[in-house]
Amino acid sequence: MSTTIIETGGLTRNYGDICALKPLDLKVPEGEWLSVMGHSGSGKSTLLNLLGGLDRPSNGSLRVGGEDMQGLTEDGLARFRREFVGIIFQQHHLIPYLTAVENVMMAQYFHSVPDEAEARLALERVGLGHRLKNRPSELSGGEQQRVCIARAIINSPKLLLGDEPTGNLDHKSTLMVMELLKELRAEERFTIVMVTHNPEVAAWGDRTIYLDDGILVREERTRS
Amino acid sequence: MVLAKLAPHLLSWAGIVLAMGRGFSGRRSVVAAGAIVGFPLGVAGACLLSRAYPGDFSFAIIRDIVGGSFLLLWGGAVAAIYSSTVREFPRSWGERLANSPFCAGAVALSSGMIAGAISACRLVGTYNTLPPFLLLALAASILALAALAVERALAASFPVSHSGLMASVVALLLFSASSIIRLDLFSPLTMKLMKFSHDFVHQFFESMLIPDHLFIRTYLWGYIGLLFGNGVGFWGALILWFTPAVLVALAIQWERLPSVAHIRQGAQRRRLLATGIRARRFRLVIPVLAMVVLAAAVYRSRFPSVEYWDPKPLPISASPSGDIFIPKKGDVDLEDGKLHKYLFKQGGREARFFVLMTPAGKLTVDLDACAICKPDGYGQAEGTVICYYCKTLIPLETVGQPGGCNPIPLPFTEKEDGVHIDGLTLLNMWGTNAQSTARVKGGGK
Amino acid sequence: MLFRILKNSFLKRPKAVFLVFLSITMGAAVATAFLGIAGEVSHKMALELRSYGANILLEPSALEGGGFLREEDLPKIKTVFWKYNITGFTPYLFGVAEFSANGKHERGIVSGTWFNKELVVPGEESTVQGIKVIAPWWDVQGGWPQAADDAVIGAALAKRLGLSVGGQVEATVRGTGQRFRVAGIVTTGGYEEEQVFAPLVTVQSLLRQQGKVSRVLVSALTVPMDAFGRKDPATMSKDEYEKWYCTAYVTSVAKNVEEVMAGSRAKPIWQIASAEGALLKKLNSVMLLLTILALGASATAVSTSLMASMAERSPEIALMKAVGADRFQITAIFVGETLIISLCGGVIGYLLGDQLAELISRTVFNSTIASPLWLFPTAIVSAFVVAVAGSVAPLRRALRIEPVRVLKG
Repeated sequence: MSTTIIETGGLTRNYGDICALKPLDLKVPEGEWLSVMGHSGSGKSTLLNLLGGLDRPSNGSLRVGGEDMQGLTEDGLARFRREFVGIIFQQHHLIPYLTAVENVMMAQYFHSVPDEAEARLALERVGLGHRLKNRPSELSGGEQQRVCIARAIINSPKLLLGDEPTGNLDHKSTLMVMELLKELRAEERFTIVMVTHNPEVAAWGDRTIYLDDGILVREERTRS
Repeated sequence: MVLAKLAPHLLSWAGIVLAMGRGFSGRRSVVAAGAIVGFPLGVAGACLLSRAYPGDFSFAIIRDIVGGSFLLLWGGAVAAIYSSTVREFPRSWGERLANSPFCAGAVALSSGMIAGAISACRLVGTYNTLPPFLLLALAASILALAALAVERALAASFPVSHSGLMASVVALLLFSASSIIRLDLFSPLTMKLMKFSHDFVHQFFESMLIPDHLFIRTYLWGYIGLLFGNGVGFWGALILWFTPAVLVALAIQWERLPSVAHIRQGAQRRRLLATGIRARRFRLVIPVLAMVVLAAAVYRSRFPSVEYWDPKPLPISASPSGDIFIPKKGDVDLEDGKLHKYLFKQGGREARFFVLMTPAGKLTVDLDACAICKPDGYGQAEGTVICYYCKTLIPLETVGQPGGCNPIPLPFTEKEDGVHIDGLTLLNMWGTNAQSTARVKGGGK
Repeated sequence: MLFRILKNSFLKRPKAVFLVFLSITMGAAVATAFLGIAGEVSHKMALELRSYGANILLEPSALEGGGFLREEDLPKIKTVFWKYNITGFTPYLFGVAEFSANGKHERGIVSGTWFNKELVVPGEESTVQGIKVIAPWWDVQGGWPQAADDAVIGAALAKRLGLSVGGQVEATVRGTGQRFRVAGIVTTGGYEEEQVFAPLVTVQSLLRQQGKVSRVLVSALTVPMDAFGRKDPATMSKDEYEKWYCTAYVTSVAKNVEEVMAGSRAKPIWQIASAEGALLKKLNSVMLLLTILALGASATAVSTSLMASMAERSPEIALMKAVGADRFQITAIFVGETLIISLCGGVIGYLLGDQLAELISRTVFNSTIASPLWLFPTAIVSAFVVAVAGSVAPLRRALRIEPVRVLKG
């Protein structure tokens, strides 16, 4: 068993009176692929935002990669996001006026310095070597999601977070994206936490946890 | 009063010490010792020099030393740019030398001496007693220690490279010198360059002033004519002035970044590069600041601050026969177009007078009072003298003529070597003209 | 990369960028124009205060002398108590004449005067007196008159008569004619542009007023009038009186000159000048106020348009934050954008403002101004100030954007 990368103790998140995440205890060992399932409003996106340093917990402890997230300043959180995690969104969220390669380079720029050759390589690795100079609007949904993956992994994060990365994709593209993620994980050895409500997608992971109304209700291991 | 006059010099001295403390971090004590010993030495040296060679000669020596440091900066800048671009540059011995405590001490000592000499030049001529100079040395030492304390408190991520140190120290010295007209380097540089360009054209092109010369066509003369333009001196001097600092900045900008080829992971490689770039940017701050200081020096040289020339009356005594003699080239240069005040005391009576060379080139000796005003005395402004009592401006050309609020002319005889005044006449004239309202002491305002 | 982001973001939203650019340009232009005029006005005032111009006017007192002063009294001016403070003086003799040149006719004033006359006073050093000394700001195209029938003609009159340097103009007064060669054309921005200036002797014979002068303008180095100078000497203590007496107030110099010119009355021009000065000062502060208001208005405009574009840009800022941009990096992008726009706006604004200043000074003040060098940095700086002031609020809003709220899903 390898070291733990995510460890939460009594983690809660309230939005006013609404409790999005009830006290949650969770441990994720390094290198695991964890799927998080639940219907909308079950608190899975909240969990993901907390793990990605986009949001702060209301209560409880949260350690990601040995870093106490409660104690980080706003700029500390920004540094954590750029050096430690990569995030793939359902809506892709690419900057519309930048080309594919520039979108990847932007992540490099915020991290350290842009390196176009490396960004090209990353896009070639996700199979977009022929669409470097296209803007997001000229790419299909699956291609956009692959740009998003290239952007997420460009800074060699320890933790890759996916927020319904295949929610907007057809079956074929979904398969392609999942295959890609599996390959990349084999090479880069990052941990994946992926939120989904598609059991088929969840089955790609090593373990699946089910959230309902902010409570962890069930967890099961996938047989490989 | 004295310190206010010295403010630019002392400020630049504090900057110099600050830069040296940073540049030789780890050798702070050596720097502090060198600086604190060097400055008073410089002050004393300048005083002795001006005693030994009154007049412009001592200023010229100090100016040449400052000029020498500027040339040194040129050399350092060229070396820096060479070493940052050429791979096979033998850097090791130079670096070892620069890192030795000997080097730190020598730099601190010599820049302290130059800065001290420059600051002392500000006082020479106006003050002839010891206290102002002691005050200067004391203030400089305190400032040096304060600057070193400030340096200690600065963030560690703010390094100063050797070339940057050189640029900042020389820039601050030039700034300090530029506020003393006789030490200013930029105007002479402008003039020299102008002359050089004229001579150059004469030497090189006159021989080619043949119609249909093989290389020099007539239309080329249009361009050669540019060398005679008025701006040549100024713009050329600007280029010479700023180039070393620009070279130093470029040398830092072109420094090779840490080698990252061996790191396979892109993110790590880039992070290392980013750290290198950030450090380089921090090192660039000093040369850029040096350029700003150099620009300030040019500004001061072009627009020297006009101030009232308000000399302290120098006490003077008469020979037994009652004759007051003031040499033309003594402690003060009577013919420098400035107002020189003297205070004459004899037997409980005293009188104030001044000697001035009018723009027409005539020496005149006048009482430091007019026929009607209270004798508060006169100061000198641009093209005029001003009566401190009624604030009336009197054109310099008319000083020496009686009437109005003009100072009362004194009879005197001008000899080859100086000016002779009869002490008794002086006292009597003061007595009758400056009346009983006279407040002789202190030189007026 | 920063530049790629900036370039693309400019190209993506040309309208918003143009709006910001426009408001910054307007602000810089208005600031340039107003400050330029205000600066020039106070420059002219300073010239006056430094007593370069004439500050004492000698006129015949109406009762005696038949309305003229005597030319032979003039050298006495250099012998008065305050003689060293009198830097120059110029006599004038005015007359109405018919001018004709190139077949055109105009009615105008011919003035006889000294241009550059060496004046020898027994017992004093010889001095040079005349217009050239007391009015150094005269902008004469061509040269000063040398011969007795040379004249300097005002620019406006010259234009109407179609005259240029070297031309001939005929002046007729009550049947007597005199032909002048135009030695120079003068531009002053004042009434001088409507007159013909000729050597005093020539005009005296033309007007048949030999040895007579209608007025003398005297320029003296004086102490600015203060509360003390306005006090009534009769109420002063001995000390005060002594000080007043030996101070070169314009009133005392005027009194001095009046005494030596028979049948004259000396009026210090400061009475007019200081009234004018007060007006100009008021005008200056109005200009300054207007400038500040204009800059504030354009900063508000910048702020509003940046705020408006912020709604559209918030997803991209949220994304940048999510990818790991810290506050410094977001600020760099924002400030970089506005600084580039404001640099362009400053340059264009300067060029526009310069034209505007010229237009205003021509139409309102009826004089041309030379734009001083410091206006350019002023324009750039005011553009920067507008840009920075205008982007503070939007920037704060940008920094407050929470990625979680904006990037739902």
